[in-house]
Amino acid sequence: MIVLKRQLPLAITLIMGVALALQYYIPHPVSEDAITHLSKWMQIISGFALILGIASLFHVHAVKIKRQAAGWGYSGLLYLAMLVTIAIGVWSGGETKVNGAQTAFGWIYDYTMVPLQATMFSILAFFIASAAYRAFRARSREAAVLLVAAVIVMMGRVPLGQFLAPWTWDVTQWLLNVLNSAVRRAILIGVSMGAVALSLKIILGIERSYLGGSKDQ
Amino acid sequence: MKAFARRMISIDRRIIFLLIAGATLLPLVRPFGLPIKVSPEVKAVYDYVEELPKGSVFFLSFDFDPSSKPELEPQAVALLRHAFRKNLRVIGMTHWLPGTSLADSIFARVAAEMHKVPGKDYVFLGWSPGGGSLIIAMGQDLYKAFPSDYAKRPTEGMPVLQGVKNLRDVNYLVSLAAGSSGIEMWYVFGKDKYRFEMAGGSTGVIAPGLYPFLRSGQINGLIGGLQGAAEYETLIKQKGTAVAGMDAQSADHMVIIFLVLLCNVFYFVLRNEKGAAV
Repeated sequence: MIVLKRQLPLAITLIMGVALALQYYIPHPVSEDAITHLSKWMQIISGFALILGIASLFHVHAVKIKRQAAGWGYSGLLYLAMLVTIAIGVWSGGETKVNGAQTAFGWIYDYTMVPLQATMFSILAFFIASAAYRAFRARSREAAVLLVAAVIVMMGRVPLGQFLAPWTWDVTQWLLNVLNSAVRRAILIGVSMGAVALSLKIILGIERSYLGGSKDQ
Repeated sequence: MKAFARRMISIDRRIIFLLIAGATLLPLVRPFGLPIKVSPEVKAVYDYVEELPKGSVFFLSFDFDPSSKPELEPQAVALLRHAFRKNLRVIGMTHWLPGTSLADSIFARVAAEMHKVPGKDYVFLGWSPGGGSLIIAMGQDLYKAFPSDYAKRPTEGMPVLQGVKNLRDVNYLVSLAAGSSGIEMWYVFGKDKYRFEMAGGSTGVIAPGLYPFLRSGQINGLIGGLQGAAEYETLIKQKGTAVAGMDAQSADHMVIIFLVLLCNVFYFVLRNEKGAAV
């Protein structure tokens, strides 16, 4: 049993990890065919991950409703919305349009999902303004530098700011292309090195937490 | 002065909300129409599309959902108008499932406006799971990855895809992204392996994070946020919702700058006051 639960997944990880790393550098037709087949498998697994995600969402909110935890009414609403959408989606054959005509599923998408998501994103402007007023203060020298840079970029990125202070355009371009790029690059290199190290640890079986189960795994 | 500063620093946030609402709505009612300056990163995308010969394959990936519609839809519309005007063959798809229908409607609307025919001048492939692995599959064989388009028409034999076997046959790709399944993924799994030129379009929030890719040449251009879309609309000389929205964005930025400066003035007034809520 331990072979199936531990050694087999570790062996598959090692073989596939090494094979896929090597495949990248081998432009032979056999190697290309192999990656085509593997990418199909990965797409199928991704499809199942979607089902798993929906099942998990149902489970989490079912527990909340059952326990009548704080805000369980919202979970009920989520259940109702999901079930209605699924029912209408099945009834519409999963199509938003048939022969150019909008289906009920398409109507739900266009007139509930699109405006709701757009509204959620739009109200950010209000909260950003309120948060900036309360929190964006020059409490230290570093915060003051950040504040000055933010004001310049906010001026330089809009026509009215460019009109009032034309120099902000050039300074903004410099800040984005030089300072911002340098810092982002450093972060990216650090993150990438970490990802490579973690991948190596997984391939070599040093990092095993993805197997789940008890501590000895 | 201190009493006033104390009152102002804890101002009701609904007043701030009202200021932002006013700054957004007034310019939409009475636009002031200031000229839009074009940045080199947006010009680079425009120039590349402009240089493509007629019939070249232009790939547009709609990697966003409706929450980013206000910023990325104008970018998509401007790019599609430019590509159709240049008589390029346009292929579209999305990595974001909730954005599929939105992308399809944008595509269909601009294509109808430019009198383009689906299957002949453009194809919208829709969504398929996999992310990076889907890009690899498309890089090997486009028809195996997408046997049919979003409207269930078989892709094999479509006139728009004539001579296109995989991503290696794409001349230029632009990913319009609102998050991680987008520009970086297209570069890592697509451009780097299948050697096509690509650019990115993004929301204003993630644009600064993409500058290292721009500086290193991993993407040849970047359209950032509503400002980027407005710049592209200016370049193609067809104003749309981005140029219209820039007045509102300008006013909003000015209000936020004013509020930030104001709160700092009050902060300095109260800084040395013992127990001040600053």
